[in-house]
Amino acid sequence: MRLLKKLGLAVLLMGALALPVWAYEGAPGLATGDLTPARRWDILWDHVLVDLWVIGVIFGLAALYMLIKYKAKNPTDVGTATKLNKAQAVAWALIPVAVFVADDFYLAAQGWTLWGIYRRVPENALEIKAIGHQWYWEFDYGNGVVTQELKVPQGRPIVLRMHSEDVVHDFSLPKFRVKEDVMPGRITYVWFMPDTVMDTIVTCTMYCGVAHSQMYGKVSVVPPEQYTSWLESAVKAAADQQTTKVKG
Amino acid sequence: MAKAMIGAVILTALAGSAYAQMPRVPESDIDPAVFKIDEFKYLGVKPDQSLALVDQNGQSFTLKDKIGMPLILVLSYFNCDGTCSVVNSDLAQLLSRQAAWQVGRDFRVLTVSFDPHDSQQSLKDFKERLALPEAWEQGWTLSLPAHIEQAKALADSVGFKYFWSAQDRMFLHPGVYIFLSPEGRVVRYLYSTQTKSFDMGLALTDAMGDRIAPHDILNYAVGLCYSYNYKEGRYKLNIPAFVGAASLFFGVTVFIVSAFVYRRRGKGDHK
Amino acid sequence: MSDAHHGFNLREWIFTTDHKRIGILYLIGALSAFAIAGTFAIMIRMQQYGPGMQVFDSGSGYNTALYFHGAAMILVFLIPALTGFFANYFLPLMIGAKDVAFPRINAFSVWLFYAAIILALVSLVIPDPPDVMWTGYPPYSVTTEGNTAFYVFTVHLLGFSSILGAINFLVTVIYMRAPGMGWNQLNMFVWTILAAFILQLIFIPVLASAVTMLLFDKYLGTHFFDPAMGGDVLLYQNLFWFYSHPAVYVILLPAIGILFDVIATMGKNRIFNYKVCVYAGIGGVLALAGEVWIHHLYVAGVPDWIRVGMMITTLLISVPIGLMLMSLWGTLYKASITFNVAMHYASACLFLLLIGGLTGIPLAMTVMTANLGQTSFVHAHFHFVMALFSTFAIISGIYYWFPKMTGRLAEGKLAVVAFWFNIIGVNITFWPLFIIGVQGMPRRYFSYEQFPQFAPYHHVATYGSFLVALGMVLTLINWIKSAFWGVKSEANPWHSKSLEWTHTPNPPGPGNFPHDVTVSADWTPYDYVK
Repeated sequence: MRLLKKLGLAVLLMGALALPVWAYEGAPGLATGDLTPARRWDILWDHVLVDLWVIGVIFGLAALYMLIKYKAKNPTDVGTATKLNKAQAVAWALIPVAVFVADDFYLAAQGWTLWGIYRRVPENALEIKAIGHQWYWEFDYGNGVVTQELKVPQGRPIVLRMHSEDVVHDFSLPKFRVKEDVMPGRITYVWFMPDTVMDTIVTCTMYCGVAHSQMYGKVSVVPPEQYTSWLESAVKAAADQQTTKVKG
Repeated sequence: MAKAMIGAVILTALAGSAYAQMPRVPESDIDPAVFKIDEFKYLGVKPDQSLALVDQNGQSFTLKDKIGMPLILVLSYFNCDGTCSVVNSDLAQLLSRQAAWQVGRDFRVLTVSFDPHDSQQSLKDFKERLALPEAWEQGWTLSLPAHIEQAKALADSVGFKYFWSAQDRMFLHPGVYIFLSPEGRVVRYLYSTQTKSFDMGLALTDAMGDRIAPHDILNYAVGLCYSYNYKEGRYKLNIPAFVGAASLFFGVTVFIVSAFVYRRRGKGDHK
Repeated sequence: MSDAHHGFNLREWIFTTDHKRIGILYLIGALSAFAIAGTFAIMIRMQQYGPGMQVFDSGSGYNTALYFHGAAMILVFLIPALTGFFANYFLPLMIGAKDVAFPRINAFSVWLFYAAIILALVSLVIPDPPDVMWTGYPPYSVTTEGNTAFYVFTVHLLGFSSILGAINFLVTVIYMRAPGMGWNQLNMFVWTILAAFILQLIFIPVLASAVTMLLFDKYLGTHFFDPAMGGDVLLYQNLFWFYSHPAVYVILLPAIGILFDVIATMGKNRIFNYKVCVYAGIGGVLALAGEVWIHHLYVAGVPDWIRVGMMITTLLISVPIGLMLMSLWGTLYKASITFNVAMHYASACLFLLLIGGLTGIPLAMTVMTANLGQTSFVHAHFHFVMALFSTFAIISGIYYWFPKMTGRLAEGKLAVVAFWFNIIGVNITFWPLFIIGVQGMPRRYFSYEQFPQFAPYHHVATYGSFLVALGMVLTLINWIKSAFWGVKSEANPWHSKSLEWTHTPNPPGPGNFPHDVTVSADWTPYDYVK
């Protein structure tokens, strides 16, 4: 009988320790499909939320149940739990560890996959330079056009090469679920996929001084044709300005 | 005389102390600030990968063929009887002193001419004068652009300025080594006159970026100890890293001391 | 031993070397900081009530308040309350020691602490007060008009004070335990405070050197963190978080330790899986604490390999923390719980810790911070861990040991009413911030005209904070009232088995123990079940 118990425990332990392996193998391939990174972020967020709610509800209900159930009947009562023996102590350590590690690896694998997508800029991405200043954003299209509003064509990945002229800022584009610090002396980048026509904002999320809260700019996603015609006129305007400058 | 003057131009261009913007006609002197590369504007840019080039054997290739590992890009011209050969031979000398970085194995070098008068012949002459080691044959390519206007486009895309000086009958240009990452992005500019052998290794480590292979760990660790000084154009010791490490060491020592050393004296006192 | 109670003498208090009085001095300083920084918190919440200026007339006033709130709460309230007050007063009592190993160094530590408080208060009235947040990132902290020096010197004083305290308590625990007391017979609080002091000792010098270089950059013209001159902007952030993430455990661990002691005593139960909790739980946190700091820099442009590497270590730190949680929960199992006020707070702490811990999981994932980083989701997460869980644990501890310190009970209706205000208030305040954090509401904003849709959530949060303020004021009134006029307590009101209750009078006199303490091999502070 005791042998059987021990055997059972051993099987249970081995099963528990196999959990992390399963978790790693079982991480669903977020990399497949044709979703934008922002959409994938939302899906992963839902997974994580489920994970949090499951753990939270189990632990929360357990605590609530025990707090009510084990209320002292009279003031001199003492607890009746006995000390664990060695096997129980080890089991109560290893099984939870296996479960936690399994969950960690599951989340790490998922996070890693999506992070890979976040960092791998598509080949056809349109490159724009973003510059942070105290306290405004500037966008350099590389052809003389410099604006304070980011205008991008719909349906083409956009990669921003960023640096700051003064202090550390943080380029945050909540609609596209991207964010990266911008600092002097280093070049950082983010990319995002503007899949629908919209107006949204970019805002600074790294404390940068008195007008930190007001350091935001407009971001507009426009149909490709509209973008092309806007860029053409902007290039022309920039060139005109340049010549008048030289003449002057 | 002209050579000396150009040497001086390049030297001061690198010091970058002047701020004038407009190029002047080179009648009396050249404003060295003209050649200064605005690094913040150009760091991180990716020159056109489809740039077509022709190498010393007449083989055509593109810029894309040369990346995949760090690439040192040198813009020169082969008819040049002055600085260009110096810039290239200095580079050869600097690279020959790199123990951890082997031309061809760990990185490549690409010299591109921007002079429309250069030809296969002038390239060959230049190469002879340069006399690179045999082993570098594959790693260091001297090349002409397939179409000369592409040289201008390449130079523009990395902020490299040059122009013909009728007076001196030569091109005026900075002597700069441009480090490209394995993805083909500009990571670092080092100026030939002030670059030391040590800076070379650090810039190559920088160019590797995130791609650290196990055998690069030592290089990477050394890289962490230095950071690039934009004003002086060279690498300097990253003092805060050492101060931080020393502080950590101090904390660990105090912890060990309070846990162990007291024991010897304490035992005597308590008895 | 002569009787200690012969009236109040200020001189005696200032020059005391008695660990209990030093503890009380820490408590008074910490609670004052809590009151002032708490007032700022209410003003901050009122400012965020809607977009545009509400209570402050400029962004700089708000930024100073935010700086003071953060720096004071962490550096002058949480850390000194736990490693200053609780450690000083109760650690020697728990291990049966007459005092700490170096009583005069201990007195010097508390003086440094008061010097830091004075400096922090002066920084509020000078022209151009510091406005660098408690993190003090360069280049802003170097280029700002604000006087960063006050921040640096406050950190220096507190750091020095903490290092001295750490050496003192490590030596005390290692060499001054009562004869017969083995390592497996220590109170959980002693273990956690030991771990906290190890972290303090190892990591504080790094923070001190980082802020010193900041000082040199700002006032002496060096270029340690100036990228144009070969400095490195990111390195400060690395050094800062290399200390400041372990600092989270300096706060979290002793708070969990208090929770263990309160729950085990009030539940008259053993600690579930004590050895695993201590050696794997606390030990695991100690081992991993120094390898996770990059999760504060996930979106700071650091190399990708380290972002992924530290995502794994950060997620893995949930394992030792999870083991401690298992032990906490297991300690409830088959307990026999008496609900005094301390146990009310301790019960709430279980849920606050759970929420704080779980919301940390997405923040451990690099890619999740691409949207959640630097938003009010982060703000709400660490407030659940630090402001709510740790502060509630501190309040629980104060109620629990109130009879020990004063000889009187602080129980009663007022205390319970205040508790309900607090627990309901904090949840109303911080849940809306989770929600708008996910939608992109940034931290540290005094206005949010670009996000008008978040105003209703901020309304709710602000109202919640008023409830907390009311609860805290009532709690303070209750403590002051009870300390002077409260019901006299019996010697061991909670029927604890721990040495501070069984072997000393309330409050303990000089020398702590009327008779020398020895413990037997089968004694533990939690052996209720024989």
